[in-house]
Formats: sequence, C-alpha cells, structure tokens
Amino acid sequence: MTETALRTPPKPGPGTVSTKNASVRQAGGTFRERSRFAKALLNVLQRTWLIALVFAIWWTASANSTNIFIPSLEDILLSLRRDLSNGVIGSGASYSLTNLGAGLLLAVVVGIAGGLVLGETRRLREIVDPVIHFFRSVPQAALVPLIIGAFGIGQGPKIYTIAFACMWPVLLNTIDGVLGVEPTIRKFSKVYRIPAGLHFRRVVLPAALPQIVAGIRVALPIGITVMVVSELFAANKGLGFYILNSSATFQVPETWAGALLVGVIGYILSLLFIVFERRILSWYFKSGAK
Amino acid sequence: MGLTSQRLLAVAALLAVWQLVIWSGSLPSMTPGVPAIVTAIANAFTSALFWTSLAQTMTAAVTGWVIAVTAGTVLGLVIGSVPMLDRSTSILIDFGRSFPVLALMPVVIMLLGATAQMEIFVVSLSCLWPVLVQTIYGARRMDASVVDTARTFQIPRLLWFRRILLPSATPFISTGIRISASIAILVSVGVEVLSQTPGIGRQITLAQQAQRWDQAFAYLFFAGLVGWGIAGLLNLAEGKILKWNRQAND
Repeated sequence: MTETALRTPPKPGPGTVSTKNASVRQAGGTFRERSRFAKALLNVLQRTWLIALVFAIWWTASANSTNIFIPSLEDILLSLRRDLSNGVIGSGASYSLTNLGAGLLLAVVVGIAGGLVLGETRRLREIVDPVIHFFRSVPQAALVPLIIGAFGIGQGPKIYTIAFACMWPVLLNTIDGVLGVEPTIRKFSKVYRIPAGLHFRRVVLPAALPQIVAGIRVALPIGITVMVVSELFAANKGLGFYILNSSATFQVPETWAGALLVGVIGYILSLLFIVFERRILSWYFKSGAK
Repeated sequence: MGLTSQRLLAVAALLAVWQLVIWSGSLPSMTPGVPAIVTAIANAFTSALFWTSLAQTMTAAVTGWVIAVTAGTVLGLVIGSVPMLDRSTSILIDFGRSFPVLALMPVVIMLLGATAQMEIFVVSLSCLWPVLVQTIYGARRMDASVVDTARTFQIPRLLWFRRILLPSATPFISTGIRISASIAILVSVGVEVLSQTPGIGRQITLAQQAQRWDQAFAYLFFAGLVGWGIAGLLNLAEGKILKWNRQAND
C-alpha cells in the first residue's frame, strides 16, 4: 500500500515554472515522510500484535482458572511486582547474575587464551582435539550434582560449573577464528618478525574476534541455563532458589513468576549482547563482511 | 610417533594429572582416583540398571528431538517463506530461543508430574528453537531468480515446497538438527537431575547421594561418550547428505 503511494508521482502544485520543481520536491518530501512513518508504524504493529495476542489469550484463559497449578496471569504478575518491589527478587537476581558474570568471564579468559595457543600450534591441536570434543559433550547439568556434592552449595562451585560449561564454545570458536586468519597477513607478521606477544595481541586476536564473540554468544544461554540449574538443584540464594523455594512451599504464582522472570532476563541479556557485539565489532560490520 | 599414539599419550597424561591431584589431597577426599573410576566404568558395562537408565534417557531424548525437528522444520519453512509471518513471529521466537527452558522445570513438574512425558515435552521445547531458527534462515535465503522461475512456470504450491524450498533450506536445517541433537542429550540428563525422572541423570544424582562417587563419574563419562558419539555421527551424516552442497560451494 505504501509502496504504491510512493510510486505515484505527486501532482504538480500551482505556481510558476521556476517554483514548480521546488513545490514538487517539497510535496514528495512530506509524502515520503508520511509514508515512512506509516511504514514504521506498520512494522511495529506487525512485530508486536502476536505478542499482544498471546498475552491477551493467556490473561483471559487463565483469569477464572480453577486448577491451582495454573494461576491467573494477573496473580502471577501481582506477585512478581510485590517481590520485585520488596527486594526479594532483586537480591536473588544480583546473586545469580554475579555468578553468571564471574563464570562467563572466567570461561572467556581461559577459552580465548587456550584457543589462541591451540589455534597457532597445529600438532598440539590435533593431539588434544578428541579430548576437547569429549569434554564439550559432557552434559553440563550432570556436573551440577557432582560439583555441588563435592564442594558444597557456596558461590565458588557454581561459578566454576558455569565457567566449565561456557568455556568450550569460546575455546572452539577461538580456534576456528585463529585458523581463519588470512595466510598473507600471517606471512607479513612473520616476515616483519613481529614479536610473539604483539603478534597475538595485534594480529591474531583482532582477526579472530568476530568468531570469538560468536562463541561467547553461544556460551551466554548455556551459562544462564547452568546458573539456574545449579540453583534449582541446591542453593540458599538466587533466582533458581526463589523458584525452587516457592514451588516447595506451594506458592504457585511465585513459581511461575520466577520462571518467567528468568526467561525475560535471558531475553534481555541476549539483546544486550547484540548491542555489545555491534559496538565491539563495529569495524567489522562496517567493512561489510558477512 | 603417530598421531593416535600421541593422542593416547595425551589422555594418559591427563589421567596422571588427575591421579596426582587426588594424591596431593587438594580435592575433597571423596573424589575418586583413576583406578576406581575405571573399575566403575567396567562394572557399568555389565549392570542391567545402567543399560536401562541409558535406554530411558535416550528414548526421551530421541523422541523429544524427533518431535522438535518435525515441528521446527514445518513451522520454519512456513514462517520463513511468508515475510508477514516472519516479521510477526520474530520477537516471540527471539524470546523463546533465549528462554532457559530448564528454569521452567518446577512449573512443568507441577503440571505434568515427574514423568517421561514431561521429560519429552521439555526436551522437544528446548530442541525446537535451533531447528526453527535455522529453518527460517534457510527459507528466507531463497534466490530471487529461483522464485521468479518457479512463479513463471506456475509450479504448484506443494511441489514448490517439497522440491524447491526444502532443498534450498536443507543445509541450514541440518545445522539446526545437529545443534538440537546435542541439546536433546543435555536437556534430558538435566531434566533427570532436577526432577528425578528415571534415567542416567537420576542415576548420577543417586550415586552422588549414596557417596558412590566412582559410579557417578562413570555415568558422567558415559553421558559424555553418548553426546560425543551422536555429534560425530551427525557430522558424518551431514557431510554425506550435503555432498552436493559442498561441491557447489567449492
């Protein structure tokens, strides 16, 4: 609809020959502006109507629910608001997100360092390749009872579990990124005898960065999952504990609220990561690479 | 020295380090040494309980995965080839795929109980997103000239779906299928750990609670082995099935 509006030439307004062009341009400008606005509005509508519909259906369908395990959406949101405003969720979330951040940071540091070394030394990479793929395949959730059983329910074991689970995608992607460095650039670095430290920091790392960031993007949801699982299994704090504790005490709306909140946090973190990715890799996106 | 023997040497070195760390006493005393774990792995081979739990885990994982692959491919092809649907569902799909499904466990257990059906449901819900997202990517990337050709020749809708859209999206779909297969194993074990639904995950938790750490490590080893084997097999299958695609790209 807007397309055709754009294509029909604006009718020349009254005026002398000299001002005719200007008036046409002006008419076209407002036209385009209006249709751009309509397009943006249509776009927003197209993207949001389904969410609104799902929300509305959930709201009305659950409003008169008699099943105690399916509370009304209103109850869920009310208990969410109450626990958000009295700080119960806030302190839990800050505990959980601290664990996630620390674990992820550890995974990124170890993963990148290991990936740079393995990517540069072919022989070593080939030797440890099966070991890496084996460790990557160990179900992270199954580590939780072992690590918590051995080291207790404190913060440290949770951080290590998250780090262990998140490390593999970062490591493997870093290796891939290092292997993808232009051979010519590599040769240049060698010909000019760039020292190893400088070579890693200024040649290999930037070239591998897009791939590394992609690895971190894969690691993020894994980290969130392990974070929640480690708290659902055994904890005395955190978002997972909030969910577990409400379900154990039959506070059904709170259980739903906690689970939904974790989902929303996961979504927000993934959006934030995209923003971070755009910023840190702006040079890469500008170069038009895909 | 050949690569294989060097690899074996690397594994041996890793095990030696493990044993040394145990001897040094820097790990909690219950952590089992290498001989204990090896014995437990050997014992697991002859244990009926182990094979039953492995079968339970695999059944749930595979069933959930197949459901997710079917639903994800069909939905993805439809959504990806209709731009209006694509735009309408994008936020919902982004939300769904960043949702840590295991966080829903207490809710799902309330609704469905700690049953195999519940496990299959959670597995398929987790596996759906990679397949769906990859299929949408694949369906979106239709070549404009192909679309025009199909329109000119008035190819029937179903034929178009089966012979044009599906093959062109297949490389993407197969990536989604591969990713979701490893997710299926991870999630099924995770569900068993959290809900005590029968399977390997439950056995690991039980062994740990009974202070049978050697057994817990042995089961963990097998869980990793299964995931590794499946990833390897699917990589191989993808290479075979998509041979035409690789050649075209070269």
